[in-house]
Amino acid sequence: MLFRMIRGVLFHQKSKMLLIAVTIALGASLATGMLNVVMGVEEKVNKELKNYGANITVKPKDASLLSDIYDVGEGEALNAAYLREDELGKLKTIFWAFNIVDFTPFLDTQAALEDGTTARVVGTWYNHHLALPTGEELDAGVQGMRSWWEIADGRWLNEADEGADDEIMVGATLAEEKHWTVGEKVKLTASHGEKEAEIVGIFDGGGDEDGHIYATLDAVQALTDREGKVASIEVSALTTPDNDLARRAARNPAALTSRDYETWYCTAYVSAICYQIQEAITGSVANAVRQVAESEGTILDKTKLLMILITALSLIGSALGISNLVTASVMERAQEIGLLKAIGAKDRSITGVVMTEILITALVGFAVGYFMGFGFAQLIGQSVFGSAIEMNTKVIPIVAALIALVTIAGSLPAIRMVLRLRPAEVLHGGH
Amino acid sequence: MTKRRMFLRMITASLLRRRSRMLIALLSIGIGATILAGMVTIYYDVPRQMRAQMRSYGANMLLLPEDGETLDSEKLARVLEQFPEDALVGAAPYRYVRLDMTSRQQSFTTAGTDFEQVLKTSPYFSVEGRYPEATREVLVGKEIAELIGVREGSSMELTWQPAVTAGEGDPAADWVPNAQLAGSAEGFSGGAVTVTATLDGEGKIAEIQVDASTQTPEYGGRTQEDKPFLKQFTGKTLPLTMGEDVDALTGATVTSTAIVDALNHSRAVTAASQPRTVRYEVVGILVTGGEEEGYVFMSNADMRALTGEDKLDVTELSVSADEEQLNAYVEAVANSGEGVTARLVKRVTKSETAVLGKLQALVFLVTVVVLLLTMICVSTTMMAVVSERRREIGLRKALGASDNSIRAEFLGEGLFLGLLGGVMGAALGFVFAQVVSVNVFGSSITFQPLLLPVTVIVSMVIAAVSCLMPIKRAVSIDPALVLKGE
Repeated sequence: MLFRMIRGVLFHQKSKMLLIAVTIALGASLATGMLNVVMGVEEKVNKELKNYGANITVKPKDASLLSDIYDVGEGEALNAAYLREDELGKLKTIFWAFNIVDFTPFLDTQAALEDGTTARVVGTWYNHHLALPTGEELDAGVQGMRSWWEIADGRWLNEADEGADDEIMVGATLAEEKHWTVGEKVKLTASHGEKEAEIVGIFDGGGDEDGHIYATLDAVQALTDREGKVASIEVSALTTPDNDLARRAARNPAALTSRDYETWYCTAYVSAICYQIQEAITGSVANAVRQVAESEGTILDKTKLLMILITALSLIGSALGISNLVTASVMERAQEIGLLKAIGAKDRSITGVVMTEILITALVGFAVGYFMGFGFAQLIGQSVFGSAIEMNTKVIPIVAALIALVTIAGSLPAIRMVLRLRPAEVLHGGH
Repeated sequence: MTKRRMFLRMITASLLRRRSRMLIALLSIGIGATILAGMVTIYYDVPRQMRAQMRSYGANMLLLPEDGETLDSEKLARVLEQFPEDALVGAAPYRYVRLDMTSRQQSFTTAGTDFEQVLKTSPYFSVEGRYPEATREVLVGKEIAELIGVREGSSMELTWQPAVTAGEGDPAADWVPNAQLAGSAEGFSGGAVTVTATLDGEGKIAEIQVDASTQTPEYGGRTQEDKPFLKQFTGKTLPLTMGEDVDALTGATVTSTAIVDALNHSRAVTAASQPRTVRYEVVGILVTGGEEEGYVFMSNADMRALTGEDKLDVTELSVSADEEQLNAYVEAVANSGEGVTARLVKRVTKSETAVLGKLQALVFLVTVVVLLLTMICVSTTMMAVVSERRREIGLRKALGASDNSIRAEFLGEGLFLGLLGGVMGAALGFVFAQVVSVNVFGSSITFQPLLLPVTVIVSMVIAAVSCLMPIKRAVSIDPALVLKGE
């Protein structure tokens, strides 16, 4: 009998039930969408912040200072320590390897030009293809790490090209000063060799680099007779904003308790990643670039908090909306409930029937809404960040519990209220 | 009783009598309006607030003197008038000089600046100890501190070697017998080579000293010690010709040419060009992870006292504005006629535009989705509330009410609910946006006056439309059927 009654309602009062199902579906999709977005937003925004370039620099332990402070051209005697190029791949083997987005080595030298002046020649990777022992493959280099460079003329240097070592890119200021154009050949004379290189691109980076010449790492290594050596590495890593523990650890990891140490080591704090890079690369010192690392934390925290509050608002909104509608629909059925009561149905069985109907409707609404919401999250992910937002399974129980709670909270008091009314009054239509 | 009064009474009576139902409808519209007002306010405010947060990345504009011009604090103040006060987060002037630390035979790039402004333009600077407050206090970059072993509380003596000033007229006028001469010229990789010379009673070079410490030690640096090379200068009369009077040192052609050049432009040494040495107290160690760790920082007042010049090499500005506005400021500075150019720090401006664009798009899409879904929710609730009254409609129709008068009444009711809910929602929405702003960004939000009418109108339209849809169905049915309860 109960079953027949429920079926009767579900199929005969289709339009009413459909309205509830639609509203619950909308509410559920809103909740699902927002929760998925809020859980994925940190990772997405973090990736966007990689626009600002490296947040970690790695230098040789002994001579990290000198070449920066002294503008000493070659500076061989002072800057005798180097890192090994063949160890660069190790960056992708540290505990937080997955968080290392991009990296590039640098080696620079002063080279004399034909007109008697000198210029700084920076050797680096552009789109260096790495095949790691782990089977992973990636393209690393400045092309990804200098996203703000504008190629004023020509193109990026392409390392995959034949003869890439004889190609250079020139900063806009230098090119203007020397009246160089793309396609021109420039003769560079450095301490251990000379070469004639063709300008393939002129870039505008808006900084000191506009006065420099960029060549391949191999080319500069050959010019300076420093095969397999690099002077510094810039690393772009996805990090967790620093907290108190991270700040303490950054000062001295050895001072932590073993439990704190473990927590710190296994969290993607910039100091933990620096520490692991130092373990991987012989004789290196890795430092967080505070301008990037610190600001990143601020922006990430703010964005996340903003999204959480917006999500909270939309969750409250959809919860109130659903329970409101459920209340309205129960009250709308006051007559029917009055009739059931008049013909002798017990309060409990009436409550049971009405609740079951509504919960079945809610279940249908939730199922539809979940997938709709997931669609919304993808829509946002694809159109804003150009990548899918991961499906978070934690969202399902949260949304299910929310829907169940608001449906019950919206219908039970309403049913109680209607039941309190005298059947005669209800049937008569008065209040 | 006029028709209008009757109409009003019907609406109010309906609202009062059916309190609980109307409350549901009102609540529903109120929620919708709150979300509308709150989300739209946040959407409009997010770029402004986020942009302020983005300033933690530091300076996004540089002011540099044009070629042949100089920048001083007065001129800077005039140029800064081009920027509205609320857009200018900070403006830190920098003067860079190389100071010698004679006791360690080192020389360091030292920056004179305004620390109050540095706190604003470079909030990521981290200082162990404190920023200098009194005179003769310096901040030392971490790398220098490690190199020379200074700590917070230690002191260091720095010496200023004035560049030999170009002076007026022909330098040859200074080349009189027994003169003390000094000159400098650009050597390898732009480093300055300084030469001091003494002339004898006949006006010939008696003694020469070369400071080529900026040059590569194995190449140009050798010129300052190479006896045979230096010896060829004595007894010669200025000006000198390279290759005729003197020969270049092998492997140090650029530096040798610079020495000759410096001598040919040398001027008599005066009191103003005497080196000055001052002892400074180290009050903090600067940690940034960037090249600033290789600098010493002192206040602009100390820098002026040491060098005797009010000169600025560059001013870092942190301006809170979008790229278009920044370009307008660059233009304004160029047109100010002060001989100053503004350059954007592309790394910061480009990245900020990219990141902010994404964030705004994110909030926009979220706002659209939330609004759309909420509005549909509101309509469904309104529809449920109204369709419940089909019996009443049927009864009225049976009593002879026209379709239009029924529609008008419901419409009026809907509009009234929309108005009330809209006003309520606009206020609550603003409160919500304020809570978000204070919690997330720690600053209050500005009220958008336009948002009140927009929220109210949207609420009224939604309420009216969702009222009319079920009524249209109700009035089109035969009253008998409705009353029977089918």
